[in-house]
Order: sequence, then structure tokens, then C-alpha cells
Amino acid sequence: MTVQHLILALHQFWANQHCIICQPYDVEKGAGTFNPATFLRVLGPEPWRAAYVEPCRRPTDGRYGDNPNRLQHYYQYQVVIKPCVENVQSLYLDSLATMGINPRKHDVQFIQDDWESPTLGAWGLGWEVRLDGMEITQFTYFQEAGGHPLDPVTVELTYGTERIAMYLQDVDTVYDLQWSEETTYGDLFHDAEVQFSQYNFQAADVAMLRTMFTSCEEECRKLLGQDLVLPAYDYCMKTSHWFNVLDARGAMSVAERTGYIGRVRGLARECATAYIQRRERLGFPLLKNRGAPSSPIV
Amino acid sequence: MTSKRPSQLRVSGKRHNHSPTTSFLLEIGSEELPWQMIQPAMTQLAQLTERLLEDQRLSHGRVRSFGTPRRLSVVVEDLALKQTSVFQEVLGPPKTVAFDPRGRPTKASEGFAKAQGVAVNKLVTRTTPKGIYVCAVKREAGLSAARVLTQHLPGIIQRLTFPKTMRWNASGVRYPRPIRWLIALMGTKVLSIDVAGVRSGSRSWGHRFTSRERPGETATKGLEIQRPEEYEAVLERAGVVVDPSRRRTLLRQRLKRLTRSSEESVYQANQEELLEQAVFSLECPNVLLGNFDARYLALPPEVLITSMQEHQGFFSVVDQNRNLLPRFLAPTNVKVKNMELIRAGNERVLAARLADAQYFFHEDRKGKLAERVPQLHGVVFHKKLGSLYQKTERTVVLVGALAQAAGVLEVKEACQRAAFLCKADLVTGMVGEFPALQGVMGKKYAAHDGESVEVCEAIGEYYQPRTPDDDVPKTIVGRLLSIADRLDTLSAFFYAGIVPSGSEDPFGLRRSAFGLIRIVVEAGMTLHLGEILQQAEGLLNRQGVNVASRPAGERAGNDASRSPVLGFLLDRLRFYGRTVCGYREDVVESIIHGPHGADGDLRDLFLRMDALQAVTNRQEFDPLLIGFKRAHRIVEKEAWASSGVNAERLTHPTERALHQAVETIRRAVEQSLASGDYHGALKRLIDLKRPIDQFFEGVLVNAPEPEKRANRLSLLRQVDELFSSFGDLSRIQVQGQ
Repeated sequence: MTVQHLILALHQFWANQHCIICQPYDVEKGAGTFNPATFLRVLGPEPWRAAYVEPCRRPTDGRYGDNPNRLQHYYQYQVVIKPCVENVQSLYLDSLATMGINPRKHDVQFIQDDWESPTLGAWGLGWEVRLDGMEITQFTYFQEAGGHPLDPVTVELTYGTERIAMYLQDVDTVYDLQWSEETTYGDLFHDAEVQFSQYNFQAADVAMLRTMFTSCEEECRKLLGQDLVLPAYDYCMKTSHWFNVLDARGAMSVAERTGYIGRVRGLARECATAYIQRRERLGFPLLKNRGAPSSPIV
Repeated sequence: MTSKRPSQLRVSGKRHNHSPTTSFLLEIGSEELPWQMIQPAMTQLAQLTERLLEDQRLSHGRVRSFGTPRRLSVVVEDLALKQTSVFQEVLGPPKTVAFDPRGRPTKASEGFAKAQGVAVNKLVTRTTPKGIYVCAVKREAGLSAARVLTQHLPGIIQRLTFPKTMRWNASGVRYPRPIRWLIALMGTKVLSIDVAGVRSGSRSWGHRFTSRERPGETATKGLEIQRPEEYEAVLERAGVVVDPSRRRTLLRQRLKRLTRSSEESVYQANQEELLEQAVFSLECPNVLLGNFDARYLALPPEVLITSMQEHQGFFSVVDQNRNLLPRFLAPTNVKVKNMELIRAGNERVLAARLADAQYFFHEDRKGKLAERVPQLHGVVFHKKLGSLYQKTERTVVLVGALAQAAGVLEVKEACQRAAFLCKADLVTGMVGEFPALQGVMGKKYAAHDGESVEVCEAIGEYYQPRTPDDDVPKTIVGRLLSIADRLDTLSAFFYAGIVPSGSEDPFGLRRSAFGLIRIVVEAGMTLHLGEILQQAEGLLNRQGVNVASRPAGERAGNDASRSPVLGFLLDRLRFYGRTVCGYREDVVESIIHGPHGADGDLRDLFLRMDALQAVTNRQEFDPLLIGFKRAHRIVEKEAWASSGVNAERLTHPTERALHQAVETIRRAVEQSLASGDYHGALKRLIDLKRPIDQFFEGVLVNAPEPEKRANRLSLLRQVDELFSSFGDLSRIQVQGQ
């Protein structure tokens, strides 16, 4: 199964479970959780079901294209279901089957892995799902986001698309993956890994990054003051990205690092609070979907 | 007559040997629980169940609890169908009031009987210390076990405590992971309970994959458990071994089978730890043998072992000479015909991990450890306590002082070099990836940089002892570095007012202090820590570590002779004496509170405890202590401060004998103490028993003549001082008193 077929299979599967198939959000981010379709939608009482591919940037994980499975840019497949449904583990296992992984022939284990994002002020309990010892999915019941306790609880599934595809295609390096029948992952992204590793570790202008961080932080605060929470949150995401590049650049002391994380978290909290308030003023519009035909997932 | 009538419950004396019994099963089915939580929860579940049955007067046989990642369960055998009935007795009016002279019930007894709901002619009499009273005996029939359990089971489930819980639905119930099914079965009867929106039934679920059934699938019905007795067997047929001890046995067998054939064995050091993890992570325990590329054997074995253990939970394999082999044993949760797919998957994952480890090992050695030390400026030790670089600077000075104090100036330089380098591995890639390798990697990298053997060894072992069972460092440099690091940590946190309280000890200061005690005692190191602790505080002061948040006045209250850190160390020494050595509490306390407690020579205090504990077993000891304590009490009561005895004026032979004995024995005791022969010193003290006893028999301390009295009190004070030179022996409890 090619990478693109794998994505299509997941789209098809989760669309059948009444998830909205969202498109990637066009701001750099370290994980699919940062996408407003997760971070903001999990807040407040409105039901929400979505699935999407998310390009993620993790500058510190770059290896100049030399490591078989560490990448500074890769694709997560993210599913969020709120409120979480009783048979979500079963659904997840069924989704593996649609990708051609028969859980009866493999060793699939749910290993405790409680998730916490200090930058988003979010945490949850769950597992990493391991397929024959390999982590392929992060499975989390969100308990808090942006410092707000969540009710109802959202369940988040994050598939490591490349890892699963490597497994299915039985290749030892991510660059050998067939993205499509004709084109490999390496054809598409190897040079990007080389270039961005060089950029993140060596070329990035530290002074510029610090300025960017501060400007985005200021912009975020300013926009929050004008009740423009969605644009404000864009800038919050950007601060997180500049922070990640600074981190890869080795430009921060550990103390400084903690300080930056605290600043991003502060913005995320303020955005979360502003978002809930705004939705409340709008009368929590998606509450009308409660009990709609999409509700019981079977 | 409004006084409360005494009433008492009396459980019926009737035995229930022949009463009909049943069996009971409670299974809490959930999504996969964290493995560490299962064993403690099983214990709680059994205890809560037993307590409930006892409180509810439900007689029962064996209570066994089980647990896998997806279930916690308890099975009760021979459970009574009904509560044991009880008789309640309520005392009524006195017999003289209750019956008229002709023995007929009066209005008083009729009223009492009516109020208690028994017939007048059923009233009996009871003799009490206050006289004879009438008494109503009421039989409370037992409720059915089914009713009692139905009422109380939800409470049991919600009373289980876990270190971390979550919410998942509108019920708001908290549990480590969502509860998905419940079985509450008495015999063949389902007890209907509801917890977190889940209603109980008699349906369980087998192995998630190899069993046909999967929870949440409406198409399947799960596994019907007909009766509690067949619970284990039904689940085992469905691929689940519910009893952890059986899983442990199966895993052990499997590990043995996979290594026995050749000259291999399972690497021992982490085996038990990994086994426990596997036992509670698997429902269907199995192990497979896999291989990795032998070229990774060039990595330090610790790196390979940690990599296998920490990320994957794999056991390592060694040959007869305990050299690592390029194999691993992976616990798996399935037994399928073709394990090849699973083996290949696990091999591939480990290969990627090892490739990463190799990358770090390669990158880390591009620079020298010493060159990394400045990076510690950027690593926070604690937000109130500056950077690890500052800590390093302090430790370098402290370890120098310790080398001097220990009289080993020849290793001072090595100590200080090791102290300078010892934190640098924290900023390497490998330790960033595997924090458990701190120290281990420092040693490797230091050796690679050409540092001396003593420096490398010290860096490798100064975190020891990491656990109460761990060895203390073997080399003198390692020991001194470990002590210096711990003293600095303790001083720094106390300096910032971050002190353990109750069960709160987030920075592991108790463990750190306990390790220090063990090094000093077990390695036999004589160190006067009092001065060194002052130096430690001075260093913090000089570095200008911010102490604004310290409670006001705390500093002023510090007694220079006994710093709070020393008090804390003494407290750990107490713990060591009591729990590790099994010394008597009064023995430990008398030494801690003795005249040498404040010196900070912890080993000396320990040796005193040890000698005192030994002498307490001699039969002369208690009688001696009786005499001494009598002397001590008199001196204390009189607040007698003088010990100047005028020998000329001692008139009575017992006075003179005691005086002489004190003089002789004091010299002997001083000599013994000076040479560290504490057993000898205490032996000499025992010789004082007879003169003391005879003194008290022969003379009256409170003599009418003031001079005689003063002289005798001074003599007793000499006795007191002599005993107290060893420890505060007045704290010793004479046994049998």
C-alpha cells in the first residue's frame, strides 16, 4: 500500500465514522494537536469529529536525511472524537485492518503513555500503540487543554503515517517508501530533509528567530485584545514554531528554554479562554449536532 | 429514667458449617491499565472485599484477586448466602421495677417490651454490676448476601485508589482508563450493579485478538461466565491468563527454554524488573527470541541493555562469561502459529533504536567532556538554586575539603577533577536520550578523553547507591565525590527552604541523605561533617544564590553547632540504625542526643550505637542502668552542677568505694573511647554496677549535714557525667519496667 493509498484508506474509514475530513492547517506546527481542529475544538461543550493529515515540523529531529526514520518534517494522521465513544479502541483496530494490518497476525499492544504538552498546557491519559514493538499510534483521552478541564472528554488518535507505511511496505528506511506507485518518499522529501537540517541546525539566524518569536507573541496578545481569537491563535502557533527552531539551533540555555515554553503556554491559555468565551457568545453553534444521525458510531 | 440503656450486639453462636454457600465473582473490565497499577489494585480489591464481607457478617472462604491489563477481578469461595444473624440485647428497667412481688410484669416492663417490639413473656433478666435488670433479646435476621453485595459493590470499585485517574464520560467516575464491562456474579446469579454507566452482567471478554470476541462489537456476545468457579478456565481458553503468578511462571519457563539450549542465559541484573513489567503488561504471556546486528556490540553494553530495556522492555542475553550476545528476548502478548512477522518487526524496531544510540555515541565523542562543562551554565539545577555549573563549582571545593578531612590529600586532585567533569555527561546526546545512563556515559567519555582511571571510576559510580539495595561506591574518589555531591544538594535545598515534609520529598533528599549515611557507615569513613556543612553554606552564600524566598528568621534560628542539614542527616542515621540494623529506638536516641551528636561524625555515632546495642543484651546491663538512672534523676532534680568531690570528707566505705571506682573506671573508659573501642568502654562501665548499688544501700544522699550531702551529690554527678560521656543513657528504657 502506498503512502497516499494509506492516507486515502484512513480518510475513507473515518469519513464512514462521520468524521469531518479536514485539510491540513497552513501554519507550521510541531504536531497535529496544534491544529485548531484539535486544540480549539476540544474546548467547550460542542461535539466534534474530525480526521486530517497534518504536516509536522520537528526541527530537532532532523538528521540530514541520514537516519532511516528520524525526520524534521513528517505527516501525522490525526483523529479527534468528542465526546469519546465507547468502542473507540475497536474502531481503531478496525482502521488498522483497512490498511491491511491484521491484528490477529501481529502483536498489537497498548502501552501506557500519558501525554503532556507543556507548551499547550494540555494533558491526557492513554497509550502508545505498538505493532510488533513499533510505536505506530498515540492514543489519548484529553483531560485538559489550555489549562481548561475538558468536558466532554475528547479522544485523540495520532497515527505515525510513515512508520505504518514502512511496516506495510517492508522497507528499512523512510526514503524507500513508495509515496505513489512511481515516486518514493526520498524522491519527494530527501533533499528537503538535508536542506532543512542544515537550516535548522546551522543556518537559521538566531537573532531573527528571537525577533520573530517576540513579534508573534506581541501580535497574538494584541489580537486577543480585539477579540480576534483565530488569528491570535495562528500567532501562538508561530511562536511555538520559532521556539522549536531556536531549540534545534542550540541557541537557548535550559533556563531560557523553560522561559520560552512558559511564554507559549501563556498565549495558548489565553487563546483557549478567549475561544471558549467567543463560542459561548455565539451560543455554542455545534451543539445542534448533538444527537444528530452521526452520533452513534458503529 | 432517660439514661441510655446499654445495648450490645451478639453474633449468633450458631456455626455456619452446614449453611448453604455459594461463590462470587467481580470483574472490572477496562481498557488497558498501566502495568504498575495492577498489582497494588489487586491487593486493594482483595482487602476491600474481605473487609466488606466481614463488616457485613458474610462468612466466606478463600478470597483471591486477579489482574491483567484489561481486568481486575476477585473471586470469593464458600460465601454464605445470608448474613450471620445477630442478637441484640437491650437492658430495660431493674427487675424489682419490672415485676411485682408476685412475679407479674408491671406497666414498666410492658411498656419496655412494647417499645422493643418483643412479647413481655420473652423478656429475660441479666445480672449487671448495678443489679438485675430485665432485658429484651431481639434477633436480627441476616439479609441475603445478594442484597448486601448489590448495595456495596459499586462502593468498592470506587474506593480503589490509583496514582493517576481520568474521566471519560458524563458519569464523572474516575478510573485509570475507561471501564467497559462489569461482571458481578453470585453462583449463577447476576447481581445488578451500575458503575460509570456500565451495567453488570455475566459476560467477559477474552484476548483482544486471538479470542473471537471483541468488546464494543455488537455482533459478538463475549464470553459467558456461568459460575465464578470456571472464571479462570474460561478465560484461559479465550487466551487470557488472569492469575499474575501463573503468568510469571509461564514467562520464566519460556525465558529458560529460549536460552537453555546453547551457552546463553538471560542477563540477570534487570531480569526481575523486566519480568514484573511483562507479567502485568500481558494477558497471554509469551516471549520470542530475536537478533540484532553484531556490529552494535561495539557500543558500550550499558547502552545496549538500556536501549533494549527502557524503550522496548526486552531482556538481554549473555554468554557464559557474561558478555552480551546480539540477541534479545521480547515479551509478546500473542501466541500465533507464525511468529516470524512479529519477530521481524521487533528486530527492525530495535535496529532503529541502536542506530540512534550509535549516532549519539559517535556525535558525543566528537568533543571532550571537559569542553562540555561550560554548557552546564545553561542547565538549571533548581530555579531557586542556579545552574549545574554553579553546583559543579561548589562540589569541586567541597570534595577538596572532604579529601583533606578524610586525610587522603593524595587523591584531592583526582577528586576535584572528577567533580569538575561529573555533570558534563548530562549535556550529551546519549544521556539526553537515556537519562538512566548518567554517570555511565560520563565514565566512558572521560576514558575516551584520556582522563585518569580514578577520575573515570569516580564519575561512573558517584550516583551510587541509587537504591537502598545498590552498592556504595568502591573507590575512595568515588565515595568522596558522592558525599560531596549529596552534601551540596542537601545544603542547597535546605538553604533555599525546600525541605521534605511528611510524605512530600519531590527532590529525593531523604534518599540522597540515606545514601550518604550508607557510604559513611559501610565504607567506614571518619568525617566531621559539621565544619564541611558550614563550608557548603558559605559557598552558596558566596555564589549569591538567591535566598529571598527563605522563611524570615530561619537563618537567625540556626544553631551553628547543629545545622538543619546535620539534623536531617542524623534523622536518616536514626532510620538506618532502626530499620537496617534493627537497633532499639532508645539505643539510637541516646546516641543521637548524646554529647557527640553535633560533631557530624556519623560513623562514630553509628559505632556507638552498635556497641550500645550489643551491651544491652548483657544481663548486667539493666541492673546497671537502674542504678545509673537513679543517680541521674537525683542530679537532675537537684540541678547539681558541681562534680568536685572532696575525697577527704567521704566517710562511708561505700562512698569511698564508689569514688575510687569512678576514678579508675573513668580513666579506663576515656582510654577506650580515645582508641575507638566502644565495646570496651561499655564493658568498663558495667563494673560500676556494684559500687553504685552499694552506695545507694549504704548511704543517704540527703544527709542532714549539708557538706556530706553536697559531696555525695557531686559524686553522683561524676557518675552521671561518666555515663553521659558515651551517650544520653538516661534515655535507655530499662526492659521489663
